[in-house]
Amino acid sequence: MRVFFFFLIFYMPYFLNAQDYLLSLLAKDKSPVYVSYLFKGTKIVNGQSVELQAKDILQFNIQHRFGPLNSGAYNLYGLDFSQVRLSLEYGLNDWLSVGVGRSSSTKVIDANSKFRLKRQIVNGFPVTIVINSVICLKQIPSSNLLNSNSNGVYDNLSYTHQILFARKITRNLSLQFTPTFIHYNFVEIKNNDRFSLGFGGRQKLTRRISLNTEFFYQLNEIINKNVLSIGFDIETGGHVFQLHLSNSPHMIDTDFITNTTGNFLKGDIFFGFNISRVFTLK
Amino acid sequence: MNKILLILLISTQIQAQIFLGNSGNISFFSETPIENITAVNDNVSAVFDASNNDLVFQLNISDFIFPNALMQEHFNENYLESDKYPNSTFSGTVTNWDNDNATVEGKLTIHGITNKITANGSFVNNGDFISIVANLSVKLDDYNIKIPTIVMYKIAENIKVHIDIKLKINK
Repeated sequence: MRVFFFFLIFYMPYFLNAQDYLLSLLAKDKSPVYVSYLFKGTKIVNGQSVELQAKDILQFNIQHRFGPLNSGAYNLYGLDFSQVRLSLEYGLNDWLSVGVGRSSSTKVIDANSKFRLKRQIVNGFPVTIVINSVICLKQIPSSNLLNSNSNGVYDNLSYTHQILFARKITRNLSLQFTPTFIHYNFVEIKNNDRFSLGFGGRQKLTRRISLNTEFFYQLNEIINKNVLSIGFDIETGGHVFQLHLSNSPHMIDTDFITNTTGNFLKGDIFFGFNISRVFTLK
Repeated sequence: MNKILLILLISTQIQAQIFLGNSGNISFFSETPIENITAVNDNVSAVFDASNNDLVFQLNISDFIFPNALMQEHFNENYLESDKYPNSTFSGTVTNWDNDNATVEGKLTIHGITNKITANGSFVNNGDFISIVANLSVKLDDYNIKIPTIVMYKIAENIKVHIDIKLKINK
């Protein structure tokens, strides 16, 4: 009987399928498996997502926003108005990307950097954490700069700082929480510092279409409205089309988070779309 | 009786000559008149058992590197679904080993689907090392990898796969 057990133990690998045994020798090292592709784009709708531009990739974006839907048939429900933001985003590293842009109607030049601190890990760290910082310069006519009361360019600067926490909950659903701090160097009505809480989500509807929503709740702002945006990301192979509705006509964080006057429920809804094209620079 | 058993055990353990490799290279090419796509995986592992000529390969789908990050995302997210099917394996046997060329038959699993394949290639044993270089063709349809009509002309139906790996004897 003991002899039989000896045989059983020592010859066990030979009773198994020999190839399965070989595959078990290849059992992969325990290096962490990162969760990727929480969102399709670097923006959920208007606000930044935890996705960064990949290293050596330059993305050129053309963003369009039309006028409010409730502006009547005379204005073709907003389509007569159009504003555009042109921007470039570039991945310096897998964890650091930078961007510049300019919005037409508000004449704001913006520059931002996104820095990834942590990544979500399968059966490990629960969220991806990214820091986004934006500096905005509102352009003014040069004649205004000569005004003796003005501090020049300094007055026209504003800053946004955000910490983005996002988790891919299922393969189709990702959620993001975005505490935001915005500082204006100069304001006409009080509150240089403004705080908001952003909530965002992405639900994939098919492999190539996802529904995105985003909500910014104002913590200490009395003038401005909370911002609600709903959009679709449609992937066409070469690039991603983003179509959305929002109660803000603006496209850069400082403006859309704190300068939104439209009320979504009263029909102050702006239709917009983004088109992007990527170039590989190496 | 016990001594005979011991000799039997030792002899079988020695007989298993195992060759291992962990940094093999598998690349693939999709050629169409519109676009050529190529991706490389440098983390392929394989084992060869010289006692019975069994050969197995394994790789992580997400280790394939594309020159274009967007393509890499589509490859992982839409086509190979690497979150659902994280790796691809081959397990087979060298059936015909003649000089430095060999034929390998076995089961290839990609995207959760297993098919029987046969491949030819160079199979060189230098004592401590075995180098394997082979080419094969993979038909996307066989592995239920669906290409949307909009990019159909950009992605070949048959993907050319190039394998290059060096295995070292495992002592």
